[in-house]
Amino acid sequence: MPLTKIADFKIERLEILGADGRCDEALVPVISKEKMLEIYRMLVLIRVFDEKAFKLQRQGRLGTYPQILGQEATQIVPPMCLEKKDWLIPTYRGQGSYFARGMPLVNSLLYWGGDDRGAKLPDGQNDMIFAIPVGSHLTHAVGVAMAAQYRKDSAVALTYLGDGASSKGDFYEAMNFAGVYKAPVIFFVENNQWAISVSRKTQTSAQTIAQKAIGCGLSGIQVDGNDVFAVYRAVQEAIARARRGDGASVIEAETYRLGDHTTADDSSRYRSKEEIDLWKDRDPIARFRVFLTAQNVLTEDADLEVRRAAEEKVRSAIDEYESVPEPNPLSMFELIYGEPTWNILEQRAEFERYWASGSSRRETLASAGEGRFP
Amino acid sequence: MPELNLAQSINQALHQAMKTDDRIVILGEDVGVNGGVFRITDGLQKAFGAERVIDTPLAELGIVGVSVGMAAYGLKPICEIQFDGFLPSVMDQVINHFGRLRQRSQGKHAAGLILRSPHGGMVHAPEHHSESPEAYFAHTPGIKVVIPSTPKDAKGLMLAAIQCPDPVVFFEPKRIYRSIKENVPDESYEVAIGKARVAREGKDATVISWGALVHTCLEAAQKLQGEGVDVEVIDLRTLSPIDIGAILTSVSKTGHAVIAQEAPKTCSLASEISALIHERALLKLQAPVRRVTGWDTRTPLFRLEKYYFPDAARIAAAVRETMSF
Repeated sequence: MPLTKIADFKIERLEILGADGRCDEALVPVISKEKMLEIYRMLVLIRVFDEKAFKLQRQGRLGTYPQILGQEATQIVPPMCLEKKDWLIPTYRGQGSYFARGMPLVNSLLYWGGDDRGAKLPDGQNDMIFAIPVGSHLTHAVGVAMAAQYRKDSAVALTYLGDGASSKGDFYEAMNFAGVYKAPVIFFVENNQWAISVSRKTQTSAQTIAQKAIGCGLSGIQVDGNDVFAVYRAVQEAIARARRGDGASVIEAETYRLGDHTTADDSSRYRSKEEIDLWKDRDPIARFRVFLTAQNVLTEDADLEVRRAAEEKVRSAIDEYESVPEPNPLSMFELIYGEPTWNILEQRAEFERYWASGSSRRETLASAGEGRFP
Repeated sequence: MPELNLAQSINQALHQAMKTDDRIVILGEDVGVNGGVFRITDGLQKAFGAERVIDTPLAELGIVGVSVGMAAYGLKPICEIQFDGFLPSVMDQVINHFGRLRQRSQGKHAAGLILRSPHGGMVHAPEHHSESPEAYFAHTPGIKVVIPSTPKDAKGLMLAAIQCPDPVVFFEPKRIYRSIKENVPDESYEVAIGKARVAREGKDATVISWGALVHTCLEAAQKLQGEGVDVEVIDLRTLSPIDIGAILTSVSKTGHAVIAQEAPKTCSLASEISALIHERALLKLQAPVRRVTGWDTRTPLFRLEKYYFPDAARIAAAVRETMSF
């Protein structure tokens, strides 16, 4: 009996816009000038937001914060390919993705400032609140997609994960469900090369994360995640495939976490400055700016205006954040059940008595110190 | 005898034990190069190599399952789950495997591993980083659960856990990783698993607690001293098996018992301790046992955590209520 090849697979990588701002004309997706500018404005906005949020944390005005720096294209481009009826199921390092879907900037500040009200999505928006336990939300995305199928809606679900989460069993289970039921879901892997201190190479011995799709019968592709056009094109194709009923996709977008894991981390313990510098040269915003300028879509003045407008928006979000009154402690007892049960009501009353008896104990967020996280 | 904090004393225990016990391997997310996000395993990979201090892929269930296999082979894996909020994903291994392996294999194998995890809140942490899941573990047969509240106990309990033939879940109160220091003996010593500690002697009321909250109870006791109420504080140290002897001795003396925990109330460890006291010492009690706990709600984000976790005032109020019953 001969040994025969019964299957053959390949993994492709898509790059369109180079780090020098030049691009492969044949592959550039069709995007209107206005849409390109809209993307650019979002890229700049999330960068400015990220810079300011980081500073707020360092000044003791915000809690632990996960920086987005360097991942702007992977954050904002995929959600901008979605329609309103679609669903986004993001991760905790997802400020850009949910801002791009319409979440107000102030919400993220409230959330990372320790205020549950920040987690409230705007009315009429389908998306889910991001998950903190890594990878645990991926099956939710498949469930959303299967429900859309069941309802015969043409909505798709877009979910994010990182290179770290690709090691979780949840990822395999989610992909396998999606494969079996041809669920209209897109797994967007934001491979930022580091899961805290564990490098992509240490995370898996697979050559690419994209190829994990093959084991579950899904489409898989790797793209340059700092390339707005490559991300846009790959996501558009995956969405079209999902809407046609041709199943789920995995897009591995290679990017880089230029900041620490969170403001509680110190990445100099585990990675070199040279590596960071190398990735700084592949900045997703800079190359898109070069392209837009060369195409006369963006003038220098217009660029300054984009930056000024972003700073203004962020400043006003910070003002709003800092003027929101402290949350009402009684909100702890709300929304635990559809209707509160006796123990919740009793404990709420107990708390009210206790609270009324003492000082209100309101305090502003103090500077980081002993006993703080971590 | 150097002054160490809790993080340093656990690190020292691991370091000393690994020198003489080649069964020990450490595995977890970021435990190697980074020395753990709380630096508990700092320097261990340098000292003992990447074969014994393993930076794993990001997969909690995998970490614990692999540890079960290593333990079956005769190693002593000490695995770290980075945050308490990530423990739920390992419960399949905890409930279905490691607590049962000895009996299921009719004594052939035992999963004598140690599962370390930070515990508790009040550090302004992000969501899912301030949990108190001890009851899930204490409820599961075949597992010992410990939680030190002092650096000295932390080292002794870790060294005892390493010698324990059973799986040990080792909770580390993250609020006091660095805020409490004391002299910790250089030499190797064990603090027996299953033995509570009288953290403060008193004759009027017993307050039972564990982890970081023990220190809050001591604060409450101090407050009540000024009001003429002499409070005894029991630091449970081991949550499974509970040191019932220590509890009954104290409650028989004081006739008043308050249990304080960070976890929610319903079906909690406090519920179990209350039941034990009522079953065995009802006639010694001068008032019903009281529980001071986190509410039966989700742990709120940190702006409200001071209202969620018991503080000294709430604990003192509960003691006053039992005293005036």
